[in-house]
Amino acid sequence: MDKTSLKEKKHAYRWMVIPPFIIYLFVLAFPVLLSIILSLSDFNGGRIFGAGSLKLIGFGQYAKLLSDPYFWHAFRNNIYIVLISVFGQLPLGLFLAYLIYRRIVRLGTFWQGVLYVPSVISVIVIGIMWNLIFSPFGPLAEVVNDFNRSSYQNNLEKVLDNYNYQNGDAIEDAMIDDIIRIDSKAARKAFDDPDKGIRETIAVLSDDTDEQLVLDLSNMLSRKWSSDFLNKDGASMWPILFVTLWCWTGMYLIIFLANMQKINKETIESAMIDGAKEKSILRHIIIPELQGSIMNCSVLCISGSLNSFALIYSMTGGGPARITQVLAIYMYEKAFMGSPDYPMANAISMMMVAFSLLLILLTRKIQKAFGGQDDEN
Amino acid sequence: MKKLIVLLLVFSVITFALLANGAAESQAEGSAEVITLKVFDYAEATTAGFEETEALWEKFDEENTDIVLEKENLSNEPFHQKLAAYVAAGTIPDIVYMYPGGRSAVIHEQKLLKDLKPLLGDEFLSNFLPAVVDPEDQAGHYLAMLPVSICYSSVMYVNEKLLQDNGLEVPKTYEDLKAMVPKLKAKGIQTVLMANKDDWVMQSCLYSTIAGRFVGKDWFGQVIEGKVKFTDKEFVDSLRFVDTLYKDGVLSRDTIQISYGEVPGLFASGKAAILIDGDWRQSVFLTDKSSGEALIAPEKQQSDIVLEAFPSIPGEKYPGVVSSTLGCGYGISAAIPSGSAKEAAAVKLLKYVYSNEVQKTYLELGKYITSRTDVVSDSLEPLTLKMKEYYASVPETCYVLDSVLDPAIYTVINKVLQEIGLGTKTPEQGAAEIQAAADAWIAADK
Repeated sequence: MDKTSLKEKKHAYRWMVIPPFIIYLFVLAFPVLLSIILSLSDFNGGRIFGAGSLKLIGFGQYAKLLSDPYFWHAFRNNIYIVLISVFGQLPLGLFLAYLIYRRIVRLGTFWQGVLYVPSVISVIVIGIMWNLIFSPFGPLAEVVNDFNRSSYQNNLEKVLDNYNYQNGDAIEDAMIDDIIRIDSKAARKAFDDPDKGIRETIAVLSDDTDEQLVLDLSNMLSRKWSSDFLNKDGASMWPILFVTLWCWTGMYLIIFLANMQKINKETIESAMIDGAKEKSILRHIIIPELQGSIMNCSVLCISGSLNSFALIYSMTGGGPARITQVLAIYMYEKAFMGSPDYPMANAISMMMVAFSLLLILLTRKIQKAFGGQDDEN
Repeated sequence: MKKLIVLLLVFSVITFALLANGAAESQAEGSAEVITLKVFDYAEATTAGFEETEALWEKFDEENTDIVLEKENLSNEPFHQKLAAYVAAGTIPDIVYMYPGGRSAVIHEQKLLKDLKPLLGDEFLSNFLPAVVDPEDQAGHYLAMLPVSICYSSVMYVNEKLLQDNGLEVPKTYEDLKAMVPKLKAKGIQTVLMANKDDWVMQSCLYSTIAGRFVGKDWFGQVIEGKVKFTDKEFVDSLRFVDTLYKDGVLSRDTIQISYGEVPGLFASGKAAILIDGDWRQSVFLTDKSSGEALIAPEKQQSDIVLEAFPSIPGEKYPGVVSSTLGCGYGISAAIPSGSAKEAAAVKLLKYVYSNEVQKTYLELGKYITSRTDVVSDSLEPLTLKMKEYYASVPETCYVLDSVLDPAIYTVINKVLQEIGLGTKTPEQGAAEIQAAADAWIAADK
């Protein structure tokens, strides 16, 4: 290459790189920098520039954040999402991609389409849909409770028949004991004192026909399955984790499948001639070949998980009482709900960036420790 | 390579020329004196009457060729959050729908809106209820917005027919309400339905009334001055009552999983005997003029549904009080230059929106009972008429907490109410947390 063309090339590169670089600075670097400045300031709304009210006050917001239990709670929920993403979506996506790639399941293209569909639906639609499914009056609860009620009803009819009980008769102690025994756990859930509660209910329902009494007592005493995950702190994230898994596994499946198709088929064929089983092919050929993709997907997973907002916001809004809150929602709440606290919101976003970088570095370290190579394929 | 550079330069020149042309066009528009007004409104496209109300705005747009309306509609949380974003960016739209305080307090306090009193004039304002034109009732102590109504945030929508079918009557006391639970539960019917998944619902639609019954109205002024505390017995008692509601099964803990959009359908389909919500919720049950369908048909509104205040509570000191606040309304951005043509256009729009004709349509659609006193109509649905009767039946009102307390305090109350519902916090622990938030707010304010 002669000197002039090299010079021209450099010149052209400069012209091509500078405009997008300037756009990048404005669109990405500037907001990040502004976010850092705001997190160190006392800004409380209104015009940022020209108002002369922005004062830097140091790292106070970060100190406040580190001693805030809700921040750590949101962080813990984010970690759950990172874990389900990295250790759920990726292995499952890889496994399903392998099944399709190796034609272990029939109709591979069909399954590929079915599993990928959730990734292309708006997460808000997905959130609302699962919200309705998990609602106490939703289809899931209706089906389970109808089943519980009808099986309880059969048992109750047998007990009442045993005692030849008709509504209005004197109630035998043994009959109450037998009713409680049908499902003692549900009875204790319905009443603090099941014996007293059942007697009082029968008294309240004294106008019922015998058939109606059985139906009403079954309504009252049968086991109620309410998708009350949100009412239990330990289980509140389960529906979200399930939907996260359901929603994005298909995307990783496609990425892994595309990369598997690049693997030299002859390698697999020769391994099979040497007697290698599917497990060995997966372990010794596919996974090492896909190391770069797995690494890339892990980075996508981690950053996506720490940023997860729309799905959770549409499913629970971070509630009730902040138990399903993640960092992005906590940040949003601080910035836009109630009394705005922009410095705190920006401090949270900076912490998210820091955690994200930390986790990605950790992933790279782990990959190197296991003898992996950097993503170069 | 030279060709490439030339190509890039030509591309840049064309881009800049197009941009410059756009700017020139907008300047030309300005010189033709077409005024663009940006309107940020609270409207939900899925509710009945949306098309009719939008048509009113379009009518103004068409009749005033020199004014162009750019209207943005949002509702519920997204509305508040977008408005907060506008405030943060210092770019609030020309005409803004907002609250007289509470969630819109920052707009009032930072005086981001014009005083409507001189702009609309005393003669125009004399057509409205005195309470809505009193500047002292707004957070900035001036008429930043004109409330379209007075809002009763706590109404018991009772399905009287459902109760009668089960041998029950409309409850007058809490004991009556509690006594209904086993019978309704046995029939698979919820006694009281509320959308407690959204944390503001319990606070606005029920707890404000409960607190008002236990501590009254002046107490909240005293708590801000530090004379009384949220940990005092009378306030803790009000939280204990919420706990009792859940423990007695009057309110199922499942309500914490029910979202705001779900409840009208559940109530209309008879899944619950009573719905507790704000007066604004009546509009979802009315006939949608465009489809002719109603969630509760007018004849059923008449025969099946009654509107009542929450029954008397054991230990209440202020019987019968119900939470109410000034309704929302529109204001004009302070960024519009005084005396400008744009200001005149904004005033013209507001005078149209608050005119008898427009307010009558809003009333007939069941959106709210207008604060304009000269509006009468003979085509109201039974539920709207019952709402008017309900207003008249309320002997005294108390505060809606999110309209009187700072967000730093009421957001904690909202959260604590949910925690009591979940059973993860006792009323005493909740009261201590609310007091801590109040202390922090008072300290920061000083």
